Amino acid sequence: MRVVIAEDNVLLQEGLGLLLATAGFEVVAAVDRVDEFLAAVDHHRPDIALVDIRLPPTFADEGLRAVRAARRTHPDLPVLVLSQYVERAYAAELLGDGRGGIGYLLKDRVSRVDDFLDAMRRVAAGGTAVDPLVISRLVADHRSSRLDELSPREREVLALMAEGHTNSTIATRLYVTERAVHKHVSNIFAKLDLPPDDGSHRRVSAVLAYLGR
Amino acid sequence: MTTSGTGTIRRAGQATAYLLRGGVTGVTAVGALLLLVVAAALCPVLIGVPLLARAVRGGRSLAAGERRRAGLLLGEVVPRHDLESSGSSFAQLRTLTRDPAAWRDLAWLVLHAVTAAPLAVCWLALWVCAVLAPFVTMLWWAPSGAPIDFFVPIDSWSRASAVPLPVAAGSAALLIVAGPVVASAQARVCRALLAPSARDRLTARVEQLSSTRAAALDAHALELRRIERDLHDGIQAHLVAVAIKLGLAQRQRRADPDAADNLVEGAHAGVEHALTTLREVVRTIYPPILADRGLAEAVRTLAAESPVPVRASIGALARPPAAVESAAYFVVAEALTNVVKHSGATEITLSLDQGGDRLVVEVSDNGCGGADPSAGTGLAGMTDRAAALDGRMTLRSPAGGPTTVRVELPCVS
Repeated sequence: MRVVIAEDNVLLQEGLGLLLATAGFEVVAAVDRVDEFLAAVDHHRPDIALVDIRLPPTFADEGLRAVRAARRTHPDLPVLVLSQYVERAYAAELLGDGRGGIGYLLKDRVSRVDDFLDAMRRVAAGGTAVDPLVISRLVADHRSSRLDELSPREREVLALMAEGHTNSTIATRLYVTERAVHKHVSNIFAKLDLPPDDGSHRRVSAVLAYLGR
Repeated sequence: MTTSGTGTIRRAGQATAYLLRGGVTGVTAVGALLLLVVAAALCPVLIGVPLLARAVRGGRSLAAGERRRAGLLLGEVVPRHDLESSGSSFAQLRTLTRDPAAWRDLAWLVLHAVTAAPLAVCWLALWVCAVLAPFVTMLWWAPSGAPIDFFVPIDSWSRASAVPLPVAAGSAALLIVAGPVVASAQARVCRALLAPSARDRLTARVEQLSSTRAAALDAHALELRRIERDLHDGIQAHLVAVAIKLGLAQRQRRADPDAADNLVEGAHAGVEHALTTLREVVRTIYPPILADRGLAEAVRTLAAESPVPVRASIGALARPPAAVESAAYFVVAEALTNVVKHSGATEITLSLDQGGDRLVVEVSDNGCGGADPSAGTGLAGMTDRAAALDGRMTLRSPAGGPTTVRVELPCVS
């Protein structure tokens, strides 16, 4: 799988490159500026882009703007955004178009290599990866009493689903069968009054939209 | 009668009212002055000191009233100079005797005691002349027996028209023409003596700046110490533990690979914990979203994250200076935390707006009220933050609620 990395910190850029190369990804370009990133995306047409949210010159949210620009010209470009901190306002912006192929993770998550690579592959395949911290905050702050109707296990499933995991991953994580997960998911959708689950990234958008209300 | 005519009469009436009330305060001033003299004379006997302090306070509240009156007449606010008056009566007196403003207050008291009452009496006499003289002209021949004495005995039409009428006209002219001038002269003298001089104002400003600067520096030093502690006790401790675990894992790698694996896993968790702590510390130093997106977005995030529902209304903000943004952010954060921790409120109203060159933050709740700035460091910290930027905080929190915290910050960079 071919990757373009946009990261201005040399240590992290090298570390990510090494990690991805070891895992069988091909890093076709590693850049540290927005214009270089857009050029690299145009030139290499990567399978996925890995972008730091803070890039020069102002180190505010250039990365976010770069992602928007890149996805305007290449609507199908999967992008995984990394950040030193997570804000759900950013998550909402990134996921707002409901198109999938998008991820938003804390930089720390890279250290859990398997999870990180799983997120990369999921996003590259058109799925979603939302940082667990965003989800846990959304769940904690949500004021709907409907969430109280969920059983503890259903809440766990809801959180993992919102992070973008597939039913089979959720099953592995929770040590249950996929059938059981499927049942939990239908229960959740029924209790929260959401449109039926179609198993795609659209269900993530639906769950996130529900939590964000 | 024309409008300017009404205006003239109104001004004359105003002037008279001012001067007559001045007469009343003038008599009070005489009383206050006598009290001062008596108290000063009694000072060698111990009872004189507290008496003198009380007399001074009385004189100053008289002066405060006079400032307000003069301000109303002159159409401007006559500012007061705030004198330090804390400690024992003796200490208060000592501070007062060193303050030139106190001596100017005293000068005003003497002047007012001497001039105000006589002036008021003259003015009353002028009114009496202006109003009564025409009646004298009309009534001199009435069958009351004795002739009326009005400066001269009025016993003929020629005398009746030659004396009272010009007196009335002259009095009225004086009342109308000189009245406003005299009243405003009295108000100006009052302002000159009672308002702080430019030098006083400058001194007060320098004192205020020095004290807010000292508070800001203190707060800054405290903040640095807190960050130092957070970094050392939190993050460094985690990293040391990680290093120990990795060192042990290295030693046990061959002998006991399973134990080594566990140690590495523990080290990994430790690093993650350290990173989480680091993020939290950074957030307390300067929230990243404030840097990236500005105040409105950062406050919206705070509101969204509050466990008590917040109704936020955020106006259009031109991006204020960074120091102001940061202060406003932490004020909102502190206020929301206070509501959640202490008020038992179920709803918070937050407004953030920039009017002219001021940024105004207001946080109200429907909780139990009774917030006391001296109870914790939170509210005092907010006051200091605002003062350091020349802003100010006001707190309304009657027992039983509701509580409103309002902070105004000037936005000139």
